[in-house]
Amino acid sequence: MEQMTMAFEEDVVIKTEGLTKIFEKGKKRQVIALDNVDLEIKRGEVFGLLGTNGAGKTTLIRVLVGLLTPTEGKAFVLGRDVTEDIDYIRDRVSLLPQEAGIYDRLTARENLVYYGGFYGIPEEELNKRADKLLEIVGLKDKEHYQVKGFSGGMKRKVLVARALVIEPEIIFLDEPTTGIDTLGARVVRNLLKMLSSEQKRTIILTTHDLNEVSELCDRVGILNDGKLIATGKPSQLEEKFRAANLEEVFTGLVTGEGVYGGSTP
Amino acid sequence: MRPKFDAKTLWMIRKEVREVFRSRWLILGFIISPMFAWMFQGAFLSFIVGQTSEEPEQVYITIEDDGIWARTLYEEIYANRSTLLIDPLVNITLEEGQQLVADKTISVWVLIPENFTQELNATTKSTLQIVVNTASFRATATASRIDTFAKRVINAAIVIRDLQVNWYTISPEANYGHQLAIFLVMLTSVLAPAPYISKSFAGEREAKTLEALLVVPMSRVKILGSKLVAGLALTAIYSLFTAVGILTYNLSIILRVGNLAPELQQANINRYTVNAYTIPLIMFCQFLLLLCAIGIGVVISCLAKDRATAESVNSMIMLIPTFVIGILGFTGSLLQYGGVLLWIILAIPFSHAVLFLNAVLAGTGTLMGLSINVGYMIGFTVVFLFIGAKLFEREAIIS
Repeated sequence: MEQMTMAFEEDVVIKTEGLTKIFEKGKKRQVIALDNVDLEIKRGEVFGLLGTNGAGKTTLIRVLVGLLTPTEGKAFVLGRDVTEDIDYIRDRVSLLPQEAGIYDRLTARENLVYYGGFYGIPEEELNKRADKLLEIVGLKDKEHYQVKGFSGGMKRKVLVARALVIEPEIIFLDEPTTGIDTLGARVVRNLLKMLSSEQKRTIILTTHDLNEVSELCDRVGILNDGKLIATGKPSQLEEKFRAANLEEVFTGLVTGEGVYGGSTP
Repeated sequence: MRPKFDAKTLWMIRKEVREVFRSRWLILGFIISPMFAWMFQGAFLSFIVGQTSEEPEQVYITIEDDGIWARTLYEEIYANRSTLLIDPLVNITLEEGQQLVADKTISVWVLIPENFTQELNATTKSTLQIVVNTASFRATATASRIDTFAKRVINAAIVIRDLQVNWYTISPEANYGHQLAIFLVMLTSVLAPAPYISKSFAGEREAKTLEALLVVPMSRVKILGSKLVAGLALTAIYSLFTAVGILTYNLSIILRVGNLAPELQQANINRYTVNAYTIPLIMFCQFLLLLCAIGIGVVISCLAKDRATAESVNSMIMLIPTFVIGILGFTGSLLQYGGVLLWIILAIPFSHAVLFLNAVLAGTGTLMGLSINVGYMIGFTVVFLFIGAKLFEREAIIS
């Protein structure tokens, strides 16, 4: 089997080797969205993907969930090659896409229950999970309302709950707190912390909020122009690049202005 | 224990159907369109019934022959003016008639030519000429009645005689009416699925719901199939209300002819109403047409960037051939055209719907001909759904 061909540490759930994704834009132009990315993420980690817009964060997630096929290199999720065993992977992962939409004509509860149904989870079990999640995100009293009347933040909460209703082993969250008010974002962060610490679920999230990264993430990876230019714990990166905080590390690396007090290492 | 894989598809279908049935305007469109088509048809044909069965028409007559058969025919027509709904019957000369024809101011002109009697006696055949302005339903119907009546008069007197009348069809107005029904059925059917299909594919992409949907552990073919099943639920509504529309149409005709003479009542009912046996066939044809439209719609929707583009392109692509076929249909049979034009016509699936419905409504269909029409529409749908499935599998579908 393919997963045996790679040296896979027992607790590694995501591994990429030389992962490259090139988009052909017409006959002459190419866009290299991912450039030779090597990455390992362990079970139970909250991994933050950082990068400016267009850095390749969304492309990386899309490759890992099988929406895009790698141009070169390999990507393994839960020990399975994404190009060969995507059904196995999809049964165990959940995705909250960036700017994800929601089915406006369904109620908050229906959005959760139907989505869970696509994963073959029995309806009774889905209803229990939906009860719990809607309670957590503070929408229990609005569970039977069609989502079309919800605010952007409320919709985002439903989407986060929807991503969790299948109780996935790995959760991909593309900017999960974007558009949610401060209190709502706090609810979502606490939920993610609980999922990581108590349920040992692996969470890969992209965000532009570096405070959120510092609060949530065990490790981060910084993408710039499709290249993974740094990985490590936030504190390690701050120490390595002698920066006061993660923002200095990030800004220095992606702008080329450098860290180490003004010079790139 | 988790249910089997098919349960996932069932959930997908449930979700699609639930969403569709919450789109009130969409459902309303699927109810109103077929009802409108047939109710409009009922109103239109009720007008024709009134024009052709109640209103008298001015008829010009010219007798160039002074033989017995010409005189007999004239006298019988004159004596039966009220039955034939002729008022007045105006005698004119050949020259006057030709002038009226040249001026295009004539409605119906009956010409009993020179040697009419002599030919009938010598060869057992003769020809009566009827010039009619077919733009007028009333004139056309009057001409039809004179045609039938003249043959009956001559043949009743001497059965071995054979009167030929220069007239091409017995009930052109019914034919015209049926073509209108077909055109409306076709037009509403090809346009009806567009909002749902656009919403379901391009709309999902535009609403940013497609990406999450495509990562669920189901093949894209099953996702596509689920959406099509929801589309079929809509077509079922459409077909149901087509049946209601046809029955309403039939009722409107029956009510309309209620005050006519008994023989006229039955004749009009026979001529204009849709036979109960043909209703399932009409619904079947409409179902196939909707499938074709869905197949085309899926392809367009998978290629379009957003819902508005999908709907615009869909309308354009559907309307152009529909109007071409519809307009050609008014000129007579689509099969009368030859060469490349015929092949182009036959390549359009809607042509087969017209041919099928024409044959069914006129009662002239053959098993082979109808099978070819049905087979082509099914084949066309399958090919387009296959292309749609391939397009739905592309990476670019999410971007």
